[in-house]
Amino acid sequence: MTEPKEAPEAKPADINKGLLTRWWIHAAGAVLIAVAVGALAYESGFVPNRETVQSASQTTADGFFQPPSDDQIPNDEFGAAVRRGQAIFTNTSTNASQYVGNGLSCSNCHLGAGRQPFSAPMWAAWVQYPKYRSKNKQINTMEDRVKGCFSYSMNAQHSIKGGPPPAGDDIYRDLQTYMYWLATGAPTNEAIKGVGFGKVAKTELGYSPERGAEVFAANCAVCHGGDGQGQKDINGRYVFPPLWGENSYNWGAGMARIDTAAAFIKHNMPLSQPGRLTDQEAWDVAAYIDSFERPKDPRQKGKTIEETRKQYHEGDQIYYGQTVNGVLLGVGTPDPERPVGAGD
Amino acid sequence: MTIENKGGANSFHQPDENFEPYEQHGKMPWPLIAIAIGLGLWGAATLFDTREDVATAQADRTAASQADTGLTTDPGSALFAARCSTCHQPDGMGVRGAIPPLAGSPFVAQGPELVATILMRGIDGPIRVNDHIFNGHMPSFASALTDIEIGALSTHVAQRFGGSSEAYPTTAVAALRAAISDSGSFKGGQDISTITGLDFGNQPAGKAQVAHSLTPEVSALIFTGRGEQWACASCHGDLGQGKENTPRLAGLSADYIVKQLDDFANGRRLNESMRVVVATLSDSEKRQVADYYAGLRVPSTARPELGGDLARGEALALRGDWSRNVPACFSCHGPSGFGVSPEFPPLAAQQAAYTASQLAAWAGGHRNNSSLDLMGRISRQLDDADRRAVADYLASLPPVPAGEAEQIARTGVRP
Repeated sequence: MTEPKEAPEAKPADINKGLLTRWWIHAAGAVLIAVAVGALAYESGFVPNRETVQSASQTTADGFFQPPSDDQIPNDEFGAAVRRGQAIFTNTSTNASQYVGNGLSCSNCHLGAGRQPFSAPMWAAWVQYPKYRSKNKQINTMEDRVKGCFSYSMNAQHSIKGGPPPAGDDIYRDLQTYMYWLATGAPTNEAIKGVGFGKVAKTELGYSPERGAEVFAANCAVCHGGDGQGQKDINGRYVFPPLWGENSYNWGAGMARIDTAAAFIKHNMPLSQPGRLTDQEAWDVAAYIDSFERPKDPRQKGKTIEETRKQYHEGDQIYYGQTVNGVLLGVGTPDPERPVGAGD
Repeated sequence: MTIENKGGANSFHQPDENFEPYEQHGKMPWPLIAIAIGLGLWGAATLFDTREDVATAQADRTAASQADTGLTTDPGSALFAARCSTCHQPDGMGVRGAIPPLAGSPFVAQGPELVATILMRGIDGPIRVNDHIFNGHMPSFASALTDIEIGALSTHVAQRFGGSSEAYPTTAVAALRAAISDSGSFKGGQDISTITGLDFGNQPAGKAQVAHSLTPEVSALIFTGRGEQWACASCHGDLGQGKENTPRLAGLSADYIVKQLDDFANGRRLNESMRVVVATLSDSEKRQVADYYAGLRVPSTARPELGGDLARGEALALRGDWSRNVPACFSCHGPSGFGVSPEFPPLAAQQAAYTASQLAAWAGGHRNNSSLDLMGRISRQLDDADRRAVADYLASLPPVPAGEAEQIARTGVRP
């Protein structure tokens, strides 16, 4: 006779059993509540988003001054001048037609119609003038400065009038009105972040047009063309500006200096991908672009290239007056048969 | 007595046979209550959110229909800013060497009827305006604007830039539209003089349009298919207008089309249908198909249909959003979305669903065949609403004028 088996003893309830599950349920509940409260707060506008941050402040998230937007241009005489200035700025060859001898506009280098930081934004330039410039060793007003833009960057020597707008011209008034308006609320007499094109640190290798040619082919040619002459749409309108040659800026322009071009490229190019290029690549490609012939320096007049180089380009990082690949640079592209923009 | 006692003594141990087992109600654990409350709040928030969306959408539709019916204060002015100013500029001054000015133009000075006629027919040839000859490529707005819009726009342009005091009625636009029918674009300034009988001085002669002659084989590829392969036209439409998620091909640059066909064939651009269709095309056939579509000047069938914010779309196309490093679409694809060959296709009049889906594909990494990953970077900066907005705006534009596009685009010399 066997003893009846003892019924297995009921184990005492494991007090830890199910704790983990309960923990998960608690956590899920808490997360759901947090999401619900968060969603409510977001929808009710308690959480700052991109738009509210920008409209509430005069600076962007990166700490740059924020100029007013186009729809804030007032509808009065002042606003009309702002609009005229903006039209000159973005469509210079049409609205300052008599004084532009190439295919460029102000906004080709001052991106975002003069708004983009480190693209020599106008809101930062406006609060810096009048100022002393070593370029001409005197105090420059903003009008003096813009006159220089026409002379060099817009190559006014090949325009219908053959030079920049005369002192006091309405073109200067309207452009300055536009700049003044862009600088609405900008701090004065203090360093302003985003001014000019910024700087690019010098590299150990220095710069080389040969290395720059490869950088150019890989990163720039898709827009500016393999020949650097830019590209036009079907109506013959420049979509991408020419970088050298007769339709580009002349040897007196700031962009003809390799350090200036490198800084612009580093901070702004390729469009939409600033910072894509390394410092070294920016230096090299700037050297490549500025190692081609372009319209002559209008200050040369009767002087030789060497005299002009000594007087105006001594110490600059520029190929003016140097021989590159056996070719003396600075001679200038041939003068056009008739002024650029003259009637047909 | 006894029985009662017995029963009374046993009642604790032997349940009554009428006894129904029951379980004591346990308390609902508080996390479950929390979850229920959380879901409830979430639901309420969603309802609240949706209500806002509906209100916004209704306001948008009202605004859009007001624009359509000309009920806004100055519809012509708004239309000019949205449809004309990218080329002719907000001040009507045009662009030196490229776009004729409207201000001071003898054509505009003729009054709103000629303006409306040019708007509807477009121009495809050289035209002299005052001292300058322009290589005129103006799109036809007939398929992009309603009679009411063309009436308002031509009235505005003729009054603002031509000194006219005449208002051009919608009924006249309708009659004009019927009269023009499909007579095609003006072949330049001389053609305008000849057809209208008006004197515009010494106008350059237009060039004869070069008609593309298709070989029977390529014609079969496009219209009837070959063997197992279906025809291009079966999806892209008889005239390459596209539909919904199938792109418009008419007026795209031939170089761009050839590049895309190559990319489909070798897997740089992923699309199973196109991979199959392209598989057996020879290089010569690709080029001929591309040339055919590039040369088509076809009315737009694209319409804003994604409920996008057209004002936001216009801002993105014209000015971009620099706070996100998104440049204006037109800063690369040309000031009117006409394209810059071969890397930057025309965007004007492209089907909205296609444009939005491609932007989404770039953002999600499903399309990778743009140089420098330009489109990938840009698309990732745009949210869904932005993609719909810009796609809808581009769909509202008139189609790219075809013709010499190829010849001009290929002048760029590449080392």
